[in-house]
Amino acid sequence: MGIVEGGWEFVVAAYSLTAVVFGAYATSIFLRYRSERNRAAIEARRETRG
Amino acid sequence: MTTRLESWAPKALVALGVALLFVGSFWGLAKAPGEVFMGDVQRIMYVHVPTAWNAMLTLTFAFVCALFSLFTNAWKWDNRLEAAMEMGVILSLLLCMQGAIWAKPTWGVWWDWDPRLTTTAVLVFAFGGILALRAFVDDPVKRAVWSAAACIVAFVDVPIVYFSVRWWNSLHQMQSTPETVSKAFHWPLRINAFGILFLWTGLVALRARVAALRLRSEIAPPVPEAPEGKSAPTGARFSGGDR
Repeated sequence: MGIVEGGWEFVVAAYSLTAVVFGAYATSIFLRYRSERNRAAIEARRETRG
Repeated sequence: MTTRLESWAPKALVALGVALLFVGSFWGLAKAPGEVFMGDVQRIMYVHVPTAWNAMLTLTFAFVCALFSLFTNAWKWDNRLEAAMEMGVILSLLLCMQGAIWAKPTWGVWWDWDPRLTTTAVLVFAFGGILALRAFVDDPVKRAVWSAAACIVAFVDVPIVYFSVRWWNSLHQMQSTPETVSKAFHWPLRINAFGILFLWTGLVALRARVAALRLRSEIAPPVPEAPEGKSAPTGARFSGGDR
Protein backbone atom coordinates (compact mmCIF):
# COMPACT_ATOMS: atom_id res chain seq x y z
CA MET A 1 0.00 0.00 0.00
CA GLY A 2 1.39 3.40 -1.00
CA ILE A 3 2.28 6.02 1.55
CA VAL A 4 2.53 9.68 0.57
CA GLU A 5 5.71 11.30 1.86
CA GLY A 6 6.36 15.01 2.07
CA GLY A 7 3.86 17.10 0.15
CA TRP A 8 4.03 20.25 2.27
CA GLU A 9 4.17 22.30 -0.93
CA PHE A 10 0.64 21.07 -1.76
CA VAL A 11 -0.56 21.92 1.75
CA VAL A 12 0.93 25.43 1.53
CA ALA A 13 -0.61 25.88 -1.94
CA ALA A 14 -4.10 24.84 -0.74
CA TYR A 15 -4.05 27.13 2.32
CA SER A 16 -2.56 30.05 0.37
CA LEU A 17 -5.15 29.68 -2.37
CA THR A 18 -7.94 29.63 0.23
CA ALA A 19 -6.58 32.76 1.91
CA VAL A 20 -6.19 34.60 -1.41
CA VAL A 21 -9.70 33.68 -2.63
CA PHE A 22 -11.41 34.66 0.64
CA GLY A 23 -9.27 37.80 0.98
CA ALA A 24 -9.93 38.96 -2.58
CA TYR A 25 -13.65 38.25 -2.42
CA ALA A 26 -14.07 39.94 0.99
CA THR A 27 -12.13 42.99 -0.23
CA SER A 28 -14.29 43.20 -3.37
CA ILE A 29 -17.48 43.10 -1.27
CA PHE A 30 -16.27 45.78 1.16
CA LEU A 31 -15.25 48.02 -1.77
CA ARG A 32 -18.56 47.47 -3.60
CA TYR A 33 -20.49 48.14 -0.37
CA ARG A 34 -18.61 51.38 0.28
CA SER A 35 -19.07 52.59 -3.29
CA GLU A 36 -22.83 51.80 -3.32
CA ARG A 37 -23.31 53.45 0.07
CA ASN A 38 -21.53 56.59 -1.11
CA ARG A 39 -23.69 56.69 -4.23
CA ALA A 40 -26.86 56.27 -2.14
CA ALA A 41 -25.72 59.06 0.20
CA ILE A 42 -25.11 61.42 -2.75
CA GLU A 43 -28.57 60.65 -4.14
CA ALA A 44 -30.17 61.20 -0.72
CA ARG A 45 -28.40 64.57 -0.39
CA ARG A 46 -29.69 65.61 -3.82
CA GLU A 47 -33.23 64.72 -2.77
CA THR A 48 -33.11 66.58 0.53
CA ARG A 49 -31.56 69.64 -1.15
CA GLY A 50 -34.73 69.83 -3.25
CA MET B 1 -31.97 52.89 7.32
CA THR B 2 -29.75 50.36 9.01
CA THR B 3 -29.35 50.32 12.77
CA ARG B 4 -25.93 50.29 14.37
CA LEU B 5 -26.26 46.55 15.14
CA GLU B 6 -27.27 45.78 11.54
CA SER B 7 -24.29 47.76 10.36
CA TRP B 8 -21.74 46.05 12.59
CA ALA B 9 -23.10 42.48 12.75
CA PRO B 10 -21.83 41.37 9.29
CA LYS B 11 -18.39 42.86 9.92
CA ALA B 12 -18.25 41.19 13.34
CA LEU B 13 -19.21 37.85 11.75
CA VAL B 14 -16.44 38.25 9.15
CA ALA B 15 -13.90 39.11 11.87
CA LEU B 16 -15.01 36.13 13.99
CA GLY B 17 -14.81 33.85 10.95
CA VAL B 18 -11.28 34.99 10.10
CA ALA B 19 -10.17 34.54 13.74
CA LEU B 20 -11.60 31.01 13.86
CA LEU B 21 -9.97 30.15 10.54
CA PHE B 22 -6.59 31.25 11.93
CA VAL B 23 -7.04 29.09 15.04
CA GLY B 24 -8.38 26.06 13.15
CA SER B 25 -5.70 26.26 10.47
CA PHE B 26 -2.91 26.65 13.02
CA TRP B 27 -4.28 23.62 14.90
CA GLY B 28 -4.55 21.60 11.68
CA LEU B 29 -1.11 22.57 10.40
CA ALA B 30 0.92 22.53 13.60
CA LYS B 31 -0.79 20.48 16.30
CA ALA B 32 -2.93 17.76 14.68
CA PRO B 33 -1.10 14.54 13.74
CA GLY B 34 -0.48 13.58 10.10
CA GLU B 35 -2.62 10.78 8.62
CA VAL B 36 -1.11 7.26 8.42
CA PHE B 37 -1.16 6.87 4.62
CA MET B 38 -1.41 10.41 3.29
CA GLY B 39 0.98 11.96 5.82
CA ASP B 40 1.05 15.77 5.87
CA VAL B 41 -0.91 16.11 2.62
CA GLN B 42 -4.03 15.12 4.58
CA ARG B 43 -3.84 18.54 6.33
CA ILE B 44 -5.53 19.96 3.22
CA MET B 45 -8.67 18.31 4.63
CA TYR B 46 -8.99 21.05 7.30
CA VAL B 47 -9.80 23.64 4.63
CA HIS B 48 -11.21 21.40 1.89
CA VAL B 49 -13.91 19.60 3.90
CA PRO B 50 -15.23 22.75 5.70
CA THR B 51 -15.31 24.48 2.29
CA ALA B 52 -17.38 21.58 0.92
CA TRP B 53 -19.86 21.61 3.85
CA ASN B 54 -20.28 25.37 3.58
CA ALA B 55 -20.61 25.36 -0.22
CA MET B 56 -23.55 22.93 0.15
CA LEU B 57 -25.00 25.06 2.95
CA THR B 58 -24.68 28.31 0.99
CA LEU B 59 -26.39 26.83 -2.04
CA THR B 60 -29.13 25.39 0.18
CA PHE B 61 -29.62 28.90 1.59
CA ALA B 62 -29.80 30.20 -2.00
CA PHE B 63 -32.50 27.59 -2.72
CA VAL B 64 -34.50 28.75 0.34
CA CYS B 65 -34.11 32.39 -0.79
CA ALA B 66 -35.34 31.42 -4.28
CA LEU B 67 -38.48 29.81 -2.81
CA PHE B 68 -39.17 32.82 -0.58
CA SER B 69 -38.48 35.19 -3.48
CA LEU B 70 -41.05 33.43 -5.66
CA PHE B 71 -43.71 33.03 -2.99
CA THR B 72 -43.41 36.37 -1.17
CA ASN B 73 -42.36 38.63 -4.08
CA ALA B 74 -40.19 40.56 -1.59
CA TRP B 75 -37.05 42.18 -2.99
CA LYS B 76 -35.04 41.32 0.11
CA TRP B 77 -35.16 37.61 -0.82
CA ASP B 78 -33.94 38.38 -4.33
CA ASN B 79 -31.04 40.36 -2.88
CA ARG B 80 -30.18 37.47 -0.56
CA LEU B 81 -30.50 35.01 -3.45
CA GLU B 82 -27.99 36.97 -5.53
CA ALA B 83 -25.58 37.18 -2.59
CA ALA B 84 -25.90 33.49 -1.66
CA MET B 85 -25.47 32.27 -5.24
CA GLU B 86 -22.32 34.36 -5.69
CA MET B 87 -20.88 32.99 -2.44
CA GLY B 88 -21.90 29.46 -3.46
CA VAL B 89 -20.06 29.78 -6.77
CA ILE B 90 -16.93 31.12 -5.03
CA LEU B 91 -16.97 28.27 -2.49
CA SER B 92 -17.65 25.58 -5.13
CA LEU B 93 -14.88 26.90 -7.36
CA LEU B 94 -12.49 27.05 -4.40
CA LEU B 95 -13.56 23.50 -3.51
CA CYS B 96 -12.63 22.25 -7.01
CA MET B 97 -9.23 23.98 -6.86
CA GLN B 98 -8.41 22.70 -3.34
CA GLY B 99 -9.52 19.23 -4.47
CA ALA B 100 -7.21 19.39 -7.49
CA ILE B 101 -4.27 20.31 -5.24
CA TRP B 102 -5.09 17.37 -2.95
CA ALA B 103 -5.69 15.00 -5.89
CA LYS B 104 -2.25 15.46 -7.47
CA PRO B 105 -0.14 13.91 -4.65
CA THR B 106 -2.74 11.27 -3.70
CA TRP B 107 -4.36 10.20 -7.02
CA GLY B 108 -1.49 11.26 -9.30
CA VAL B 109 -3.69 13.58 -11.39
CA TRP B 110 -4.99 17.13 -10.94
CA TRP B 111 -8.45 16.25 -12.24
CA ASP B 112 -10.52 13.21 -13.09
CA TRP B 113 -14.01 13.07 -14.61
CA ASP B 114 -15.17 11.18 -11.55
CA PRO B 115 -18.86 11.57 -10.48
CA ARG B 116 -18.11 13.72 -7.41
CA LEU B 117 -15.75 16.06 -9.26
CA THR B 118 -17.94 16.29 -12.35
CA THR B 119 -21.14 17.06 -10.43
CA THR B 120 -19.29 19.73 -8.40
CA ALA B 121 -18.02 21.31 -11.62
CA VAL B 122 -21.63 21.28 -12.88
CA LEU B 123 -22.58 23.26 -9.74
CA VAL B 124 -20.03 25.96 -10.57
CA PHE B 125 -21.24 26.28 -14.16
CA ALA B 126 -24.96 26.08 -13.30
CA PHE B 127 -24.93 28.75 -10.59
CA GLY B 128 -22.30 30.80 -12.46
CA GLY B 129 -24.62 30.69 -15.46
CA ILE B 130 -27.53 31.99 -13.38
CA LEU B 131 -25.40 34.91 -12.17
CA ALA B 132 -24.49 35.63 -15.80
CA LEU B 133 -28.19 35.48 -16.70
CA ARG B 134 -28.92 38.05 -13.99
CA ALA B 135 -26.32 40.37 -15.47
CA PHE B 136 -28.00 40.23 -18.89
CA VAL B 137 -31.62 40.82 -17.80
CA ASP B 138 -32.45 44.51 -17.41
CA ASP B 139 -35.98 44.15 -16.02
CA PRO B 140 -35.56 43.60 -12.23
CA VAL B 141 -38.87 41.71 -11.89
CA LYS B 142 -38.09 39.26 -14.71
CA ARG B 143 -34.54 38.91 -13.38
CA ALA B 144 -35.81 38.00 -9.91
CA VAL B 145 -38.37 35.45 -11.16
CA TRP B 146 -36.13 33.81 -13.75
CA SER B 147 -33.12 33.52 -11.50
CA ALA B 148 -35.21 32.12 -8.61
CA ALA B 149 -36.73 29.50 -10.96
CA ALA B 150 -33.29 28.67 -12.42
CA CYS B 151 -31.82 28.38 -8.91
CA ILE B 152 -34.50 25.85 -7.91
CA VAL B 153 -33.69 23.76 -11.01
CA ALA B 154 -29.91 24.02 -10.47
CA PHE B 155 -30.26 23.05 -6.81
CA VAL B 156 -31.18 19.52 -7.92
CA ASP B 157 -27.42 19.01 -8.40
CA VAL B 158 -26.61 19.69 -4.72
CA PRO B 159 -27.97 16.37 -3.31
CA ILE B 160 -26.48 14.62 -6.37
CA VAL B 161 -23.03 15.99 -5.39
CA TYR B 162 -23.54 14.82 -1.82
CA PHE B 163 -24.72 11.31 -2.66
CA SER B 164 -22.53 10.81 -5.76
CA VAL B 165 -19.87 8.96 -3.75
CA ARG B 166 -22.51 6.46 -2.54
CA TRP B 167 -24.42 6.05 -5.79
CA TRP B 168 -21.48 5.52 -8.15
CA ASN B 169 -17.97 4.07 -8.03
CA SER B 170 -15.82 7.06 -7.28
CA LEU B 171 -12.16 7.83 -6.85
CA HIS B 172 -13.27 10.30 -4.20
CA GLN B 173 -13.55 9.04 -0.65
CA MET B 174 -16.92 8.84 1.17
CA GLN B 175 -18.27 11.97 2.86
CA SER B 176 -16.09 13.18 5.72
CA THR B 177 -18.14 13.45 8.91
CA PRO B 178 -17.14 13.21 12.60
CA GLU B 179 -18.03 9.50 12.36
CA THR B 180 -15.71 8.80 9.41
CA VAL B 181 -12.58 10.68 10.53
CA SER B 182 -10.28 10.08 13.46
CA LYS B 183 -11.01 11.98 16.70
CA ALA B 184 -7.62 13.70 16.50
CA PHE B 185 -8.84 15.53 13.39
CA HIS B 186 -12.21 16.70 14.79
CA TRP B 187 -11.32 20.05 16.38
CA PRO B 188 -9.50 21.74 13.49
CA LEU B 189 -12.25 20.52 11.16
CA ARG B 190 -15.03 21.91 13.35
CA ILE B 191 -13.28 25.20 14.08
CA ASN B 192 -12.60 25.84 10.39
CA ALA B 193 -16.16 24.80 9.50
CA PHE B 194 -17.56 27.41 11.89
CA GLY B 195 -14.93 29.91 10.70
CA ILE B 196 -16.07 29.59 7.08
CA LEU B 197 -19.72 29.58 8.22
CA PHE B 198 -19.34 32.92 10.04
CA LEU B 199 -17.25 34.33 7.19
CA TRP B 200 -19.83 33.55 4.50
CA THR B 201 -22.83 34.65 6.55
CA GLY B 202 -21.16 38.03 7.16
CA LEU B 203 -20.11 38.39 3.53
CA VAL B 204 -23.53 37.32 2.21
CA ALA B 205 -25.22 39.88 4.50
CA LEU B 206 -22.95 42.64 3.15
CA ARG B 207 -23.34 41.46 -0.45
CA ALA B 208 -27.14 41.44 -0.06
CA ARG B 209 -26.92 45.09 1.01
CA VAL B 210 -24.87 45.89 -2.09
CA ALA B 211 -27.61 44.23 -4.17
CA ALA B 212 -30.31 46.20 -2.31
CA LEU B 213 -28.53 49.54 -2.88
CA ARG B 214 -28.04 48.75 -6.59
CA LEU B 215 -31.67 47.73 -6.95
CA ARG B 216 -32.78 50.93 -5.27
CA SER B 217 -30.90 53.13 -7.73
CA GLU B 218 -32.06 50.91 -10.60
CA ILE B 219 -35.76 51.08 -9.74
CA ALA B 220 -35.80 54.71 -8.63
CA PRO B 221 -33.39 56.53 -10.97
CA PRO B 222 -31.33 59.32 -9.41
CA VAL B 223 -33.08 62.63 -8.92
CA PRO B 224 -31.67 65.11 -11.47
CA GLU B 225 -29.73 68.12 -10.29
CA ALA B 226 -32.06 71.05 -9.58
CA PRO B 227 -31.61 74.05 -11.86
CA GLU B 228 -30.30 77.20 -10.20
CA GLY B 229 -32.90 78.68 -7.87
CA LYS B 230 -35.43 75.84 -8.35
CA SER B 231 -36.14 72.74 -6.27
CA ALA B 232 -35.40 69.20 -7.55
CA PRO B 233 -38.43 67.13 -8.62
CA THR B 234 -39.74 64.97 -5.79
CA GLY B 235 -41.78 61.79 -5.93
CA ALA B 236 -42.24 58.33 -4.49
CA ARG B 237 -38.90 56.64 -3.75
CA PHE B 238 -38.16 52.93 -3.75
CA SER B 239 -38.30 51.63 -0.21
CA GLY B 240 -37.19 48.02 -0.80
CA GLY B 241 -40.59 46.41 -0.29
CA ASP B 242 -42.45 43.97 -2.55
CA ARG B 243 -42.39 43.56 -6.31
